[in-house]
Amino acid sequence: MQRKRVVEPEEKIREIPGSVFLFRSCTGSLEYPGTESAVTETLRCLGIEPLTDPDQTCCSGYLLTCSAHTPEVSLAVTARNLALVERKGLDTYVFCNGCYGYLKELSHILLHNQEYLEGANELIARWGYHYAGKTSIFHVQEMWYRLKDRLAAKVVRPLNGLRVGVHYGCHYLARKYDILDDGGYPTFHEEIVEALGGTPVFYKERQLCCGYAVGRGFTHREEVVQPHLFKKLRNARDSGVELITTVCPGCNVALDREQPNLRERYGEDFRIPVVDLAQLIALALGVPAAKLGFEANTVPLDDVLAKLGISE
Amino acid sequence: MRERDADRVDNLDRLVDRYHLVENLESCLQCGKCTGVCPVANLSPSYNPRQVIRDILAGNKDRWLRSEEIWRCLWCANCYTLCPMDIPFPLLMMQLRYEALENSYGVKYFLPFRRFAMRALEDGLTFTPGGARGRERIMKLRGRIGLKPWPDISEKARQEYRELFEATGAKAWMDAIKEEEERPVTLTYLQGRITDAKKKGG
Amino acid sequence: MNEAMTGKEHTALVIGGGPAGIEAALKIARGGYRAVLVEKENEPGGIPLKLFSSFPRWENPSDRIGWMVNDLKKNKQIEISLETTVESAAGTDNGFNVTLKNTATGDARTLDVQAVVLATGFRLMDLSAYGEYGHRIYPGVLNSLEFEERLREWSRGLGKAPQAVALIQCVGSRDRSKGYPYCSKICCMYSAKQAGVVKDLFPEAKVYVFYIDCRAAGKGYEEFLREVIEKKHVRYVRGRPAKVLPEGGRLLVRAEDTLIGIPVEFAADVVVLAAAVVPHPETAALAKMFGASIDEYGFIDHDPRSHAKCADRVFFAGGCGFAVDTESALSQGAAAAAEVITLFNDNG
Repeated sequence: MQRKRVVEPEEKIREIPGSVFLFRSCTGSLEYPGTESAVTETLRCLGIEPLTDPDQTCCSGYLLTCSAHTPEVSLAVTARNLALVERKGLDTYVFCNGCYGYLKELSHILLHNQEYLEGANELIARWGYHYAGKTSIFHVQEMWYRLKDRLAAKVVRPLNGLRVGVHYGCHYLARKYDILDDGGYPTFHEEIVEALGGTPVFYKERQLCCGYAVGRGFTHREEVVQPHLFKKLRNARDSGVELITTVCPGCNVALDREQPNLRERYGEDFRIPVVDLAQLIALALGVPAAKLGFEANTVPLDDVLAKLGISE
Repeated sequence: MRERDADRVDNLDRLVDRYHLVENLESCLQCGKCTGVCPVANLSPSYNPRQVIRDILAGNKDRWLRSEEIWRCLWCANCYTLCPMDIPFPLLMMQLRYEALENSYGVKYFLPFRRFAMRALEDGLTFTPGGARGRERIMKLRGRIGLKPWPDISEKARQEYRELFEATGAKAWMDAIKEEEERPVTLTYLQGRITDAKKKGG
Repeated sequence: MNEAMTGKEHTALVIGGGPAGIEAALKIARGGYRAVLVEKENEPGGIPLKLFSSFPRWENPSDRIGWMVNDLKKNKQIEISLETTVESAAGTDNGFNVTLKNTATGDARTLDVQAVVLATGFRLMDLSAYGEYGHRIYPGVLNSLEFEERLREWSRGLGKAPQAVALIQCVGSRDRSKGYPYCSKICCMYSAKQAGVVKDLFPEAKVYVFYIDCRAAGKGYEEFLREVIEKKHVRYVRGRPAKVLPEGGRLLVRAEDTLIGIPVEFAADVVVLAAAVVPHPETAALAKMFGASIDEYGFIDHDPRSHAKCADRVFFAGGCGFAVDTESALSQGAAAAAEVITLFNDNG
């Protein structure tokens, strides 16, 4: 058999670190800053201190994958950002599937191609950086699953059977090897939802891409992205989903912000709110809704918050 | 009209893989698991990842180079996730798009991102809003939930980001793509065979 | 040792009571020597006992193996030891002293043998890595051996008649990512057989076989396949399915029809997965016990100068060496027996 595909969470994250480097997500910070808060609060609740650094830049992966520019710069940017984290001796935690995919892919290319690594290190040496591959890259969803029982024990606002349709997104499962679940039939988000007292809904199109990656929402919104989202949201609605969770601000933008446009085009108003899984966890852990920035959401959370017994 | 061996580009699979990211195209069994799961193929049937791989292995460049189809890939990577041979198709697609752009095809699908890239060079962040109103809205929202009004990014970071784009030639590459020189793309796979065979003789 | 055994005073231990092992034992006895056949299950016969019909002649596999087992039982040169495993072996001057254990009673005994034939057969790969097909997740998804049982039930009028059945080839085979890179050899043929049987039982049912290639390399094999397509009207679709999803009590199979070049979605009631052939885990342990080598997948490697030999005084046959159909298993069993007989003849 080939390289190990699915690893146990205890194998991937052996010891729980006291602090981690929290890699800032552009779309997260700009579109849904509440996600940033939720991730920070939840990590702290688990006893992990997230550290950031103003010297961290965008991962540069998104525009690279749109073929807007060539890879050499992204390899250098990745090396620089990760070298920054290495100086602190921490592991890198992202909260965006996009950042995860790009950092993993680019760091993999760097560490398996001597020429690329040398080239990148040569460029960043001018500022005193050096990338050696010492920091490991994780997504916070892995920490949520790794400490699922700890989270469950700290729930003060159980989800009252809220029917949650998870959206895994594509770029975590697309890593394919050394990840927590199989891309063919993942269940770890549903397990987290259950641990919080929600009812996971295995709707048929739960693994369908959101369509937002590589900017097709800008270039092919009508031809591809909208019909695509319509199919997914309609199936979620027909399956009785009350809330969709994501682990990527990009997915959140697609699934949330397109709903009024879909109403206009197809005449169907889905009104399914979409939040980051961390925001849902934070709610269950008792973080005040006011801190979680739901004003940023296009589809309002009112019904869901009411069902959870929260008045905003 | 028959295509001849001489019409096909030798080693096209190695030529398009300029960054050595997709070294195993020949392991493709043409099994179709990629197209079977592809969400775009489901919506626009002429978009077919398996056929693109087939074209490249066969040494046909023309059909995909001028196509509208290659601009539809969403990079959901479900193809790679399910591929029994671990062919990283999205990384291939990224490089096919470079080829197309350098031949002035698909420029309209590049221009919005160049605009975002120019802003990213200022902000050190991608997808920042263009106008003052957009920025104000974000700053108010962030402030209300107790975060710093603008994501905390240093001038040093922005400067170094800019410098890397210059030093690697990425900025020059982006600037070199001229809107005026754009050539049209069409759904070549829908139209049927476009061959590299010479018209004469037949 | 059974004191009533007759035959010349050389004994071979045959490990595994499937077609390869049974044939080896019968031929060793034919050569005048003794054989002790050990089988871990409570009846001999192996995989053919589980099969409903066979290729290329649509015969009942239980019949043939049944006759062979009868011969086995009547043969005074052969001792059959069921529910028995081989615990350990120590080398002797002219063979091995083996310890056998009865898994039902826990009793152990030792035995001196002068040759060993490994015939531990194959099993189907565990499909939990193929979440996209939903084996053990969705009720209507079966592996090909489980499906043989379903065919038997259907032939007796049990269970619900299907409106559509989809058979998926190469699940775990020809897969470098989460399966095995090799071709499991027999699935193209047995899938055709299974598809043909469904059409015989339910002529109105839609039967689809999703394939990448159709490998029919054997006497009568291509003709058999054409019969299934042209006379029984099974629909072959070239495309390895991407996903099986449940909807409205049925199963949707999503794939691409690669010969037309269009994504498809077919509804079925039963989805059959032709799982990759892998060796039984005991094979590796036994190989080690008797000094034989195995390849990276756990199949037994043969000696460079003999296809039936794997170590000094140790031979092998059938599925433990690689995927094999019943015909080949029998031939290999006979070949191993020939080696044993020659060995025993030479040693006087």
